[in-house]
Amino acid sequence: MIKKIAKRLATVAVAAVMVQNVASAETLEVGILLPSPIADVGWSHALVAGMDAVKAKHGDKVNFNVVENIQEGPDADRIMNKMVGDGAEFLLLGSFGYMNGGLKLAKRNPERSFVHASGYKVADNFSPFTAKYYEGAYLMGMAAADLTKTKKLGVVSAFAIPELISTINGFTLGARSVDPEITVDVIWINSWFDPAKAQDSAKALLANGADILFSNAQDTPSVVSVGEENGAYVFNLNSSMKEYAPTKYLGVVKTDWAPFFVASVDAHLAGNFEGANQWLGMQDDVVVVEDWSDDISAEMKDKIKAKQDEIASGAVHVYDGPLTNQAGEEVVAAGSRLEDGAILGIDWHVEGINSPLPK
Amino acid sequence: MQLRFEKRLHQSKIMLLAAPFIAIALSVVLSCILLVVLKKPILLTFHSFFIAPFENFYSITEIFLKFGPLLLIAQALAVGFRAKIWNIGAEGQMVIGAIAASAVPVYFVDSTSGWLLPAMIVLGALGGMAWAAIAAFLRTQFNANEILVTLMLTSIALQLLYFLLLGPWKDPMGFNFPQTVMFQDEALFPALFSGVRLNVSIIFPILFTIAVWLFMEKHYGGYKLVVGGLAPSAAGYAGFSSKKAVWGSLLLAGFAAGIAGMSEVAGPIGQLQRSMTSGYGYSAIIVAYLGALNPIGIVFAAFFLAVLHIGGDVALVSAGLPISAVHIFQGMILIFYLSAYAFVNYRLRVVQPVTQPDSAVSS
Repeated sequence: MIKKIAKRLATVAVAAVMVQNVASAETLEVGILLPSPIADVGWSHALVAGMDAVKAKHGDKVNFNVVENIQEGPDADRIMNKMVGDGAEFLLLGSFGYMNGGLKLAKRNPERSFVHASGYKVADNFSPFTAKYYEGAYLMGMAAADLTKTKKLGVVSAFAIPELISTINGFTLGARSVDPEITVDVIWINSWFDPAKAQDSAKALLANGADILFSNAQDTPSVVSVGEENGAYVFNLNSSMKEYAPTKYLGVVKTDWAPFFVASVDAHLAGNFEGANQWLGMQDDVVVVEDWSDDISAEMKDKIKAKQDEIASGAVHVYDGPLTNQAGEEVVAAGSRLEDGAILGIDWHVEGINSPLPK
Repeated sequence: MQLRFEKRLHQSKIMLLAAPFIAIALSVVLSCILLVVLKKPILLTFHSFFIAPFENFYSITEIFLKFGPLLLIAQALAVGFRAKIWNIGAEGQMVIGAIAASAVPVYFVDSTSGWLLPAMIVLGALGGMAWAAIAAFLRTQFNANEILVTLMLTSIALQLLYFLLLGPWKDPMGFNFPQTVMFQDEALFPALFSGVRLNVSIIFPILFTIAVWLFMEKHYGGYKLVVGGLAPSAAGYAGFSSKKAVWGSLLLAGFAAGIAGMSEVAGPIGQLQRSMTSGYGYSAIIVAYLGALNPIGIVFAAFFLAVLHIGGDVALVSAGLPISAVHIFQGMILIFYLSAYAFVNYRLRVVQPVTQPDSAVSS
């Protein structure tokens, strides 16, 4: 027992942070670090909503310490350190940019558990998690194909990272599964949150002939509002923004992190948390598509429903061959399927996307 | 009765010393009101800000980690400010310094040479100076306002950073995320103690402070610089060059900011990434003024601001304060200080309105 305490104190000393209020045995201290304001919509909002399920299940046995709107960088590392110093046993790190600092902290504190959004590094007590947005985006592509007149779809997107590239590919594959003449234009704005730039980009896409907009990983409703104002259908990721486009909202590819967070916290409490790359989709009830527009034809709705069931059951995969890249070369042959590893690191666009991928 | 704001004959020494304390006192009072409105614990908040940063060794080293770049840049900026050269683009000079230094580990990924770090220091300094030199050139050749030029150059520096991170310098194994490779150990400053982030780069601000103090207080060049700024024509008659003052103070700031940027990527960050300045280039302006542009005052100001920052981070976690409240508190101190500082050179005087003699009317 004393040895255990000594070991624990030693670990804390290595982390060299003050233990102000060591968590009592009954209460699990949870630290939540978020890159943007929680607000009413968007990324951080979805993460917190997921953690609410943990609270609902465990009640007073968990205590949250939420720090929002923290820029990635050396200050974020200090705040994580402080959370651990204050007794956090389970940490949710809500941004890719917290990866290296978070991983170092995790290695110094092997008895604490970490879940980290959007990264790719794994440790025994450090799980990166990502949603298979492309599954939902595929269905949105089908709906877009049903409603487009110009056969041109526009995407305003944050960073050209695999998570978002694979989502745009999924959207394009879904649309072209209905109508192969459809093409997609993408504008990369290199920001998760830049309302002015997002708005300008959305308008540029409309001016270029697009009549459906996809707000890819934007933490602002700007693109959605532009869609409503200009009569273009629009959808987004993470949480519903229907109130910003009451008549032109195509739907939302929602992330419900609750099942994953609850499972992770339970695993931590049971002492069997194991770091692994957590890549979650419809099968895991993490990717949920809802708030469908009433303008989608009944026939298409049925098709979407059927496809949704097939994807959720695993019978069909968005990245089933044959798949062709922008250069027209076959990447995945008919009858085979792109491996998970290849999707997680994807750096190419499928045929039908006009815009080159920033290299 | 009337109040009049008039210039003092001599600077008030009492106000000079009292100003920072008045500023802190007023900020504390106003913050209490803010905290009550926000329903946040007042005592815990002040404990977080002013006591918790000193409660353990790690936290103290973190104060010095913040203190270093603030001190380095503020000392250089203050020299320019005393010469009335308003370089507010240290942030951009810092970014370019970091970029220039990062070229070494980015292009020599596998090198374990002991020359990596010295090369990075030199490149960091040169990078910052080159960026500041643009503003100096435009100012001396075309009389372009250096406030605008240095500020705009900061935006350009950031775009250059984003371009490199999204393009040629992107970590090939980094899944397209906008960041470079993690630097090898040989490209990082060794930590001063095990388990902390404070590293040997803290020596730069200390040496630089001594150098600036000697230059400004003991050297004729420092006097020339100040005169050149205060009275350019007088300086001209005396044979002092105002062009030299512009070049000198901008290059000095570029040098300091470049080293500071380099120390961040080769220190706590360990790679080049999008957010790497922590806003030091701007905070250093506050530090320079909070320290009354005096090399010794700036040491205290930098330390104070570093404590306030570490305390702010503690308050976020321990007192559950929102980050905006932390920023408001930090901003209040500056505004109150600058207001209080006005009374060093000015005073309020009660004057009785002169009553018109009746005779003037009747005659």
